[in-house]
Amino acid sequence: MATQKINAPDLGGAADVDVIEVLVKVGDKIALDTPLLTLESDKATMEVPSSDVGVVKEVLVNVGDKISTGSPILVIESEAQTVAEKAAPADEKKPVSPDVSPKSSTTAQPAEKPAEKKPEKTTPQDNGTIHAGPAVRRIAREFGVNLEEVKSTGPKSRILKEDIQAYVKEKISNANGAQSGNIGLPSAPSVDFAKFGEIEKQNLSRIKKLSGKNLHRNWLLVPHVTQFGEADISEMEQFRGAQKEKLDKQGVKLTPLVFIMKAVVAALKAFPQFNASLDASGEQLILKKYFHIGVAVDTPDGLVVPVVRDVDQKGLQQLAKELSALSEKARLKQLTANDMQGGCFSISSLGGIGGTAFTPIVNVPEVAILGVSKASIKPVFEGDAFVPKLMLPLSLSYDHRVIDGADGARFMVTLCGLLSDIRNLLL
Amino acid sequence: MSDSVELVVLGSGPGGYTAAFRAADLGKKVVLVERYENIGGVCLNVGCIPSKALLHAAKVLDEAAELNACGIEFGKPNIDVAKLAAWKNKVVSKLTGGLKMLAKPRKVEIVQGVATFKSAHEIEVDNGTEKRVIKFENAIIAAGSRPVKLPFLPDDARIMDSTGALALNDVKGKLLVLGGGIIGLEMATVYHALGMEVTVVEMMDQLIAGCDKDIVAPLFKRVQKRYKSILLKTKVTKVEAKDDGLYVTFEGEGAPEQPERFDKILSSVGRRPNGDSIGAEKAGVKVDERGFIPVDKQMRTNVSHIFAIGDIVGNPMLAHKAIPEGRVAAEVIAGKKHYFEPAAIPSVAYTDPEIAWVGVTENEAKAKGMKYGKGVFPWAASGRSLSMNRDEGLTKILVDEATNRVIGAGIVGPNAGELIAEITLAIEMGCDVEDLALTIHPHPTLSETVAMSAEVFEGTITDLYMPKKKA
Repeated sequence: MATQKINAPDLGGAADVDVIEVLVKVGDKIALDTPLLTLESDKATMEVPSSDVGVVKEVLVNVGDKISTGSPILVIESEAQTVAEKAAPADEKKPVSPDVSPKSSTTAQPAEKPAEKKPEKTTPQDNGTIHAGPAVRRIAREFGVNLEEVKSTGPKSRILKEDIQAYVKEKISNANGAQSGNIGLPSAPSVDFAKFGEIEKQNLSRIKKLSGKNLHRNWLLVPHVTQFGEADISEMEQFRGAQKEKLDKQGVKLTPLVFIMKAVVAALKAFPQFNASLDASGEQLILKKYFHIGVAVDTPDGLVVPVVRDVDQKGLQQLAKELSALSEKARLKQLTANDMQGGCFSISSLGGIGGTAFTPIVNVPEVAILGVSKASIKPVFEGDAFVPKLMLPLSLSYDHRVIDGADGARFMVTLCGLLSDIRNLLL
Repeated sequence: MSDSVELVVLGSGPGGYTAAFRAADLGKKVVLVERYENIGGVCLNVGCIPSKALLHAAKVLDEAAELNACGIEFGKPNIDVAKLAAWKNKVVSKLTGGLKMLAKPRKVEIVQGVATFKSAHEIEVDNGTEKRVIKFENAIIAAGSRPVKLPFLPDDARIMDSTGALALNDVKGKLLVLGGGIIGLEMATVYHALGMEVTVVEMMDQLIAGCDKDIVAPLFKRVQKRYKSILLKTKVTKVEAKDDGLYVTFEGEGAPEQPERFDKILSSVGRRPNGDSIGAEKAGVKVDERGFIPVDKQMRTNVSHIFAIGDIVGNPMLAHKAIPEGRVAAEVIAGKKHYFEPAAIPSVAYTDPEIAWVGVTENEAKAKGMKYGKGVFPWAASGRSLSMNRDEGLTKILVDEATNRVIGAGIVGPNAGELIAEITLAIEMGCDVEDLALTIHPHPTLSETVAMSAEVFEGTITDLYMPKKKA
């Protein structure tokens, strides 16, 4: 029985990711893929599965620590040969796992060294020009206040303790306002619902809390317009039906979404302002020469949006495969930050459920999102008679700062045209 | 006796014991390591405190003699040097004993022995008979400094450093004080009062280099009359120990042509930090080529859980710098966000007259090209000074020309060391010079001279006649 160190897997390039839950303790038996930690990046929460089998000897991280790819997580006593060991002889494994000793690691500090604090970042302060006594300078240090920013009210403009207090108070109330998104907006009244009947309180899931913040921000930040449209997908569905049996045998699930992704890419090529982001100053548009499409996936814990890369360069079959792999990963909470970065345009499909139309919220920094509802057979007047057609309702929300109403309509018309005759996708 | 503690403090000088006590008061389990039997370090045992006791005796002797001029004549004093030394030692043991009493209720464990680092989390304490390893989470290095030894001085009992000088073994004959700094001049004051003939030799062109010349001048004038000679811009090149005395060869501006004979030599040419003698490298703590340990404003060394304070981190080597540094280190270790960033640190020479300065000196202001103004008040116009039969004092205040803020001061005269505290506070509080002038000072005191120097700067003084007034 040898002790092994388990290190954090590839976190998709994310560094300093918060540990929000430690799911194992010393003495626990862990198997391959046993969840060890829950991490929270800026995009989502994810679980870190075990890459080894054994008994936990030591847990090297705590809730609140920040870890990066390769940070040591656990020391285990391995009981059986592991997958990794089968691939490589045991003695070769040691140098492979980065031997980051807990002492020197900056990201993961073990609990028993609480006093090894990193030096405080020094706030630049010039004692020569600032008029404040030593006690005031000390309290400023304790709160990390830069005295140069503090308004002085003392005699001969001396900064007083009260001035620091006022400064800190103001900063806190500003920060609170920004956090709850109340940019000067009144907050909802607090109601005692129990007065009206039985209630039950439930905590929002991590993902809900996280995506809630982003959605709220996007809703307030982006002037939304939603353009509706209907695409005739009778022929597309005929073609898909014809291929289905053959592809099912190969284990490929060809969904309408795959066609929609291809059509969206063609439309993005025709209207490059849809494949863009507004820069931070709001003065420039950043046009993207790549086509990564985010696909909203419903999971029991909430909504996540993994990104399929280079959709323009991939065939329908490959896209279908990638899409089901990503959805599976999402449901298993194994998406990494990397899986959810870099999207140009998002698609939210509720087609499998129903409904006629909805107004999706733009996934900032993208500038548009397509909502897909359930297709239904409708009578369409063609030539001199009504013909039954399979019509797919589409809802395109866009950032009106970047996209004009006319362009929104043009994009929708183009998209519908592409879907009603998928041969257009070849052009 | 536990061998694993939260904090180990190396050295029990004023900085070290302050750090240990403060940390203990903040809930830390502390071990204080001291190489000697008595805690208190150089300051309490062989520095500030015993020298002040002897200076007090010297002052009384001198004042008694000076009262001749006022019509009061004492007989020639009968000096029992052994008794004087015993009294001085009693003062010291009262204080060091008191320190041990302060350590006890705080449960600060005092371990005697020489401490060296074994690793970044262990020290070894060697008390001569056994070695003990103590593990620590944090350490504060407060190991101080030692007198510089000049290589050409022979090994001879008649050659002493400041520690030897305070022992008062022999006070007859001729004394050569090597180095005209604070320590040398204080001991010269004592030995002169006890009856020795004193010569001071200094390489620089003034005594107490670092202080402005006009402030040192009254001291120079007084000791020049009392001592045999003061040799400036002069250095000692050779000392030959013979049975009948120490023969010293000089070189430089004031050098006598022939070697001179002295009965004793006090070597007081400076102190060097003990950074080289604590095994710092084993802990990974950086020590510079002079033996100082570099620290940040929170007294943290390059090893983040090891701190250093006092003489060992740099100049000025003063107890009143080490003490607040020790507090900051202890408080930072206990999780407080404190910094050591005083606006000014005063310096005092307890000579007669005393010399004290704080903040910017005129030399420094000139060198840096600062725009400053000054107000100088001569104590010859102070009733209190004259009534003490002294008239040579000066209070000089330096003011930033743009802001009118007090930026520095130099004071010479009896009790200058007490007066400098007010100006240190003024600098910390960013006082305008007018604030000092408008603060009511009690009359008649020497402290009035601070307000009057401010008035001189303002041009509002009435105790002097200034031909050109501002307003």
